[in-house]
Amino acid sequence: MQACTLANGMQVIVWPVHHIPNIALNLWVRAGSRNERPGITGLAHFFEHMMFNGTQTRAPGEFDRLMEAQGGANNAFTSDDVTVYEDWFPSSALEMVLELEADRVAHLAFAPEMIESERGVVASERRLRVEDNNHGLLAERVQAEAFTVHPYRFPTIGWPQDIRAWRLEDLQAFYRTYYAPNNLTLTLAGDLDPDAAFRLAQRYFEPIAAQAPPAPVNEREPPQLGERRVTVRRKVQTPLLQCAYKAPSATDERASAVHLLMSVLMEGNASRLHRTLVEEQRLAIEVGGHWQEGFDPGLLWLSLTLPQSTDPQQALVALDAALARLIDSGVSPAELERARNLAIVGFWKRLATIDGKAHLLGEYAVFHDRWADLFAEPQRLAAVTPQQVQAVAADILAPQRRTVGMLVPLGARSRPER
Amino acid sequence: MVRVPPHERLVLDNGATLILLPRREVPLIGAQVLLRGGSAADPPARSGVASLVAALLEKGAGARDAYAFAETVEGAGGSFSAVAGPEAIAVRSRFLARDQDLMLELLGATLRAPQLAAEEFEQLRVRQIEFIKAAKDSEPAELLDAYGRALLFAGHPYAQPVHGSERSLAQVTHQDAREYYCAQFGADRLIVVLAGDLDMPRAEAAVRDALASWPRAAVRAALPPARTLAQRRVLLVDAPGAAQSHFWIGAAGVERKYPRRAALDLVNTLFGGRFTSLLNAELRIKSGLSYGARSSFMRGTVAGEFAIRSFVATASTARAIRLAQQALERLHRDGVSEQMLASARAYTLGQYALGLETAADWAGALADLEFFRLGVEDIDDYPARLAEVDPTLAAAVIAETFPRPENSTLVVIGDAERIGAQLAEFGPIMSMRLTDPDFVPGATGDEARP
Repeated sequence: MQACTLANGMQVIVWPVHHIPNIALNLWVRAGSRNERPGITGLAHFFEHMMFNGTQTRAPGEFDRLMEAQGGANNAFTSDDVTVYEDWFPSSALEMVLELEADRVAHLAFAPEMIESERGVVASERRLRVEDNNHGLLAERVQAEAFTVHPYRFPTIGWPQDIRAWRLEDLQAFYRTYYAPNNLTLTLAGDLDPDAAFRLAQRYFEPIAAQAPPAPVNEREPPQLGERRVTVRRKVQTPLLQCAYKAPSATDERASAVHLLMSVLMEGNASRLHRTLVEEQRLAIEVGGHWQEGFDPGLLWLSLTLPQSTDPQQALVALDAALARLIDSGVSPAELERARNLAIVGFWKRLATIDGKAHLLGEYAVFHDRWADLFAEPQRLAAVTPQQVQAVAADILAPQRRTVGMLVPLGARSRPER
Repeated sequence: MVRVPPHERLVLDNGATLILLPRREVPLIGAQVLLRGGSAADPPARSGVASLVAALLEKGAGARDAYAFAETVEGAGGSFSAVAGPEAIAVRSRFLARDQDLMLELLGATLRAPQLAAEEFEQLRVRQIEFIKAAKDSEPAELLDAYGRALLFAGHPYAQPVHGSERSLAQVTHQDAREYYCAQFGADRLIVVLAGDLDMPRAEAAVRDALASWPRAAVRAALPPARTLAQRRVLLVDAPGAAQSHFWIGAAGVERKYPRRAALDLVNTLFGGRFTSLLNAELRIKSGLSYGARSSFMRGTVAGEFAIRSFVATASTARAIRLAQQALERLHRDGVSEQMLASARAYTLGQYALGLETAADWAGALADLEFFRLGVEDIDDYPARLAEVDPTLAAAVIAETFPRPENSTLVVIGDAERIGAQLAEFGPIMSMRLTDPDFVPGATGDEARP
């Protein structure tokens, strides 16, 4: 692996591996819904769509047409913190892909008819992921309730009225600020020669001028002093329960312990919550969750899908009892070993593909500023003690710092809290 | 150039096939196991049995009960899953290379001595019903195939919902699961592919040890020839209040051994297999109506379906279906040009190696070849086959395999009150409710309503 920083501040990291004649490219932009404000929510995500809709010299659709005709495919995603563009292509197409990527970073066009058409696409995506998906709908409301000050309260896809309302000037300002080369990290993994790749990156990206760094996100969420609740009532058969706990940022020194805690709780059929809530008490049909590892302290989610006519309140009581046992008695060495081994297999699984490698490089470079350190992950996992997992559980899984979301079928009654 | 890597293949005396493929990029090993049968072998009106038997394979084997089994697998950081498909039960497992003996021991126990415990069966059965309800609430698109296939393949095993319906699962018994295992499991049904950072001699010995004495299955796996409807049908599945409609336009397609596969793949890439496809251009790029539209072929031992799938705001339902149908008509009328084929060929070749990158990818690909009794040339010669495709061959394939809209089955899941009238132009409408416990209209006793 090798890295270089271009004269304009753009970071480029490459990982040559030659088992297939392809390259995976990630372009990480340090911009997500965290960089939005009321009235323009969803802009970072909308921007991700607009990046495919033409430049000053290339008509809308040309990016995809050229890339596919050279054997490449692409995708992109936006989160609270970042926007990531991904290309997978035969190594022969490297120069063309870098040229295409640089072109849209430097010369994006904002054709008004494309903006309108893309609003429709995003509205469809929102219907798919949120309006007609109860998990997405409930999560959006929980997140909006969990934060009162910090922009993590905005749904990444945006509020519908904002999707309809942002203007050309909003897009242009966002582009100038966040798509500056000094705000980007490019990672490449696969069948490449590092020096040649750096030369190409220089040729196409170095002419793009650096910009003043984006204004920092200074909002700090005040400590949460009591549990918050959100209830959504809908015509459904399946109730849902989500608990979102205030959790540390990605760079927290306890990160490995948090990962292992999540695994102990819900990874696999032997995990605590699956065993207790799904198999033994049958109060859930599925248990899931994730830690939103971002630049700022975010949320740790526990999500339960419940059987028809199960009261979410009853499931919450059982969940709390299971969490209290973990906080009181800690985790056994065998449980911790299980979580550690699952994490190590997961790590190798990601490293087995050029896509996984490009993504890991980006993740470590952008969130941890230590891409070269990614191979230390097994050692970091090995160093975590049962006491540390218990301590992060006690610290994070406190009811007073959580937001509880319940999706209740219309007509069903939720019993009073016990 | 993608070529099948060196591997060992042997067939045991009892008919079990074992394939070993070493790949040492990362210290992992994986198994891909196929057992012929699948949901096609479900008893009549008992769809979901194979799916539950597959799920039971993870719920205890040999001396380990469900929890001990999970603890053993996950304790080593491994994974183990078994899922039924239309024609096979697939077991996938992944472990650190150091745990090869353990993985093979668990695999052997799962196949030969699953506990098939009554209590576990009951839990899985009830939970499976709940999963269908949950999908109806939040992911109805996952159920489109079940509705479409039920209509398209009526009377054929492909018509049965692989994971059952709420109604069939209410009737399936533990005895059904036991009988399925006794009749449908056996060495001659078995394909085992092991790939990764393997100790090859030791792996072969362990598999022989575990499986050489396994008897053949009690019955032969067989699938009747496909029977499909070549007529227009429209099914409206009512989801009151839905913000969008999911639609599926399907017809009989081709089998896995279809000889013009390369041409078919290129044409489908152009029609609905990639971002710039004709279909996605109409529904997303040009109109902004939908987040996406795709088409694909399900290719089994006999012909499965060709299907277009997309979703759109309730108010635009008929317009979007019309655009999809017009794209299909244009494909028939205009065919594809040499330039389009060149782009599709470059795309298919450029993405080919990415799907055959890891040991697990190769295990899946070799199991597929073995399952359909195809040779390695199916993979090795694919680029040469792609090179041979010209507009004339493509036109022949279009005529032969892509349906005309008027001979297609249309399924729409959406708000009937708001889209019922819109859909009348597509033909006489059969209706049912999303909450009905079957995937077939009328099976609940309701008459099909015009």
